Amino acid sequence: MKSTPLYSLHERVWHWLQAAAMILLILTGLAIHYPDRFGIVGSLANSIRIHAWLGAALILNAFLGAFYHLTAEKYHHFLPQMDDFTGAAVRQARFYLYGIFHGEHHPLDVDPKRKLNPLQKITYLALLNVLLPFQIVTGVLMWGADRWPRTFERVGGLWLLGPAHTLGAYLFLAFLIGHIYLATTGPTPLALIREMALGESERTESSAEIAE
Amino acid sequence: MSHLYLSPRRLGGSAAVLTALAAALTLGAQTAAPPPKLPHPALTLKDAEGRNVLDSGRPISTRQTCGGDCHDYDFIANSFHFQQGKTEMDRTLLSSHGIPAFNSSPGMFGKFSIIPNRQLTHADITDPADADMSQPEWLTKCGGCHTGGGISEFDLKGRKFGTPEATPSGPLDPSYTIRDRATGKVMPWDWAKSGTAEADCFLCHVPKASRAARKKEYAAGNFRWADNATLADTGIVTAAADGTYKYNRDAFRPDGTVKAQLLDLSDPTLENCAQCHGFTARNTTNIQPIQHADILRGTEKAGWIYNGAKISDTESPKITGKEHMKYPWDAHAAQGLVCIDCHFSPNNPGRMIQEDERKNLRYKPGSLDPAVYLKRPDHNFARGNIPPETVNITRHNTMRGCGDCHEAEKGHAFLPYKSLHFQAMACQTCHIPAVHFWAYRSDDWGFLMDTGTSRITFRGIEGSIVDPESDITGYLPAYIPSPGKDGRMQIRPTNLITGVYWLDKTKGRPVFTWQVQQAFFQSLAEGDWQYRPEIVKAFGDKDGIVDIPQAVYDTPQKIALVRGLLQQYAGVADPELRIEVVPWAMSHSIAGKGQAVKECTACHARNSMLNRPLDLNTFLPKNVPVIFRGKQANVVNFEGTEPTFDNRALLGGFYVIGKSRSPFVEWTGWVAVAGALLFSLVHGGLRAWKGRA
Repeated sequence: MKSTPLYSLHERVWHWLQAAAMILLILTGLAIHYPDRFGIVGSLANSIRIHAWLGAALILNAFLGAFYHLTAEKYHHFLPQMDDFTGAAVRQARFYLYGIFHGEHHPLDVDPKRKLNPLQKITYLALLNVLLPFQIVTGVLMWGADRWPRTFERVGGLWLLGPAHTLGAYLFLAFLIGHIYLATTGPTPLALIREMALGESERTESSAEIAE
Repeated sequence: MSHLYLSPRRLGGSAAVLTALAAALTLGAQTAAPPPKLPHPALTLKDAEGRNVLDSGRPISTRQTCGGDCHDYDFIANSFHFQQGKTEMDRTLLSSHGIPAFNSSPGMFGKFSIIPNRQLTHADITDPADADMSQPEWLTKCGGCHTGGGISEFDLKGRKFGTPEATPSGPLDPSYTIRDRATGKVMPWDWAKSGTAEADCFLCHVPKASRAARKKEYAAGNFRWADNATLADTGIVTAAADGTYKYNRDAFRPDGTVKAQLLDLSDPTLENCAQCHGFTARNTTNIQPIQHADILRGTEKAGWIYNGAKISDTESPKITGKEHMKYPWDAHAAQGLVCIDCHFSPNNPGRMIQEDERKNLRYKPGSLDPAVYLKRPDHNFARGNIPPETVNITRHNTMRGCGDCHEAEKGHAFLPYKSLHFQAMACQTCHIPAVHFWAYRSDDWGFLMDTGTSRITFRGIEGSIVDPESDITGYLPAYIPSPGKDGRMQIRPTNLITGVYWLDKTKGRPVFTWQVQQAFFQSLAEGDWQYRPEIVKAFGDKDGIVDIPQAVYDTPQKIALVRGLLQQYAGVADPELRIEVVPWAMSHSIAGKGQAVKECTACHARNSMLNRPLDLNTFLPKNVPVIFRGKQANVVNFEGTEPTFDNRALLGGFYVIGKSRSPFVEWTGWVAVAGALLFSLVHGGLRAWKGRA
């Protein structure tokens, strides 16, 4: 066993801030969607105000994250190759559905140059390029209902934006559950979480050697 | 508070007086004393020939007394308060506002109303069966409130009664006939005997006006002396046994003018408006909304009380839970606002709205000369829009709205998305959280009681409305979208009055009350209402008595029976029983900010008050058409112990966060979340199990 640097401080701070914002957004979102059952931060008005600030924080963090990944040339981690959609994705899926129960080795050994497996890349491609912008746009439009009422109405008003943003929130919640669970599928249940917390991988030597 | 206007010399400059003045000013600020008045010039009461009534002894002519050199009588009397729709008898106008053609006009003089179930007879009828309420009968029934002039001076063709050209166009001309209740026959009306009534300026401009005396003369068909009767409580006139009124010489000055303090001519006071429009008082702890033997309309329709006194101070009637209501009946009344502050004369330079959005003007420097206003004051008073009220329909939304006085955006700090809220909801939605009085609930003309009339129920009271010992529990309004000033639909608190009536499908109008009476009763004579045997057999108990609980259309056979009786005895070819739910939006009984709804979850929750069911009428028949705003609609929920109003479809156009749900989104979302959870649990469980193995 030897430690391999995997996630930089910037990446870890970005990840955990994003995670915290997302969890709090989901909680305050639930308080807004079910104000009579999830009044966790007092009144509905409070929930809306906190939700808006958290949304702003998430957008800022997303922007800084994008800036970092672009300028540090780390965006390629998130770009799937053709094989990631076909053979590699099938191998990864097979591992999750079969191999993991039979002690098979993970089909991909992560290293600083290749941190995400094919299924992660596909998921993040949809998440960061479709779902997150969708939530940001619908959220900002609802936040600005009083500021830009014509634009707000032109895009359908609450009748369209409310359910759309709610659907996006449910999908984020589903992602979050799956993401947290899959984070326990490392060598030990907490290994991957530890990696993202400390930035270092402590996987088998052979894996590290292969990666090198 | 008149001592506020004493001259400084009389004040004497003493410290004590100044202290008293300061105290009075403080008190004045609290109780909002009315502003000082300038006295009206000395007035000579004149008869129709322009002679002083002291000399002639004849009825007062307001045309001569108030008109003539001072005010433009014809201009004033041509306004809605005097015409009541007579100048709006226009089919195109009716159809353009979606008003059914069986109405003669959108005003009180011409429209069908479910509450009296009466209809002004159209001018051009040829069949006696089409005659319901003629012009003279309308005046005897409704003239007590409706202020004369126009409707009581001119026939439906615009000819002045008593002139040579004013002659009936036929035996059924509704301006010259009346249906005899006992015989059912249409009989001539003797205008020479009844006389006509000119516009009754006194009813609104004399603080001591007596509607009771006026109503009595109208009911007796003594129109000629009705305006005199209005002055019965001023000491100027005294009723004589022969139906005339004598003038009291003590009430007049030596020069023949009437003593100013007796008439006390002024802007209409709260009390003047209250005589007809609903219970209104500056500050009273004794509320009596039933005056002159009839209920004040504004109060009965929605239960509003315009009163500055605190509810907790109410001595009579009995308001349940009043000890917790240490706030006024109406926040505006408590501030001293009077009716004409909002419902002003549109050309009053001191009150008129000068804004002109088309020219981006908020103030017009060259506005109306006060002298012009005094000569020709517009009596089409500024009004709002209380759907479904159609009266004075061309002048809806002419008054200042809440936003014209209050800058709502500057207050309401607790409220996020103010514009969105103010756009979706009328101010009343939060500022009338509850009604603390009773109001009409239903008026059922489908089955007549053994008094020959409808079955009326009220909400918000346990007991009789005429019994001061009855417990008034009040009620919580329903919420219904109605068009606001800009035409957008806004949610408003509303009372619902449910009517049941028979429709004559062949004629396309409600079956007249006298026809329903013919179907139900053997005799139409007053006080001798005997149900037909068919009715007793179907609805009576073993003793042949039809009690209220039994007077219910609980089977299709009972509806068919009465339908047959209407065909057989009243000649109605194709009658159909109908339910109509009429919403009466509320604008008075405004709660201040301390009592207004502030809790977000009042609306933003699954059990939102917006969807609160309001009970309708225990006796509603099932499986008959339900009409709402002129169209058949599914707004009655028969599933509970009592039929209730179902506004879900009406509120369907509003997305209320925390309340509204998209089934697709909810199902898709929770399936995705549940799928992720299930995958995690099953996958994790299998991993654990395999790991142990």
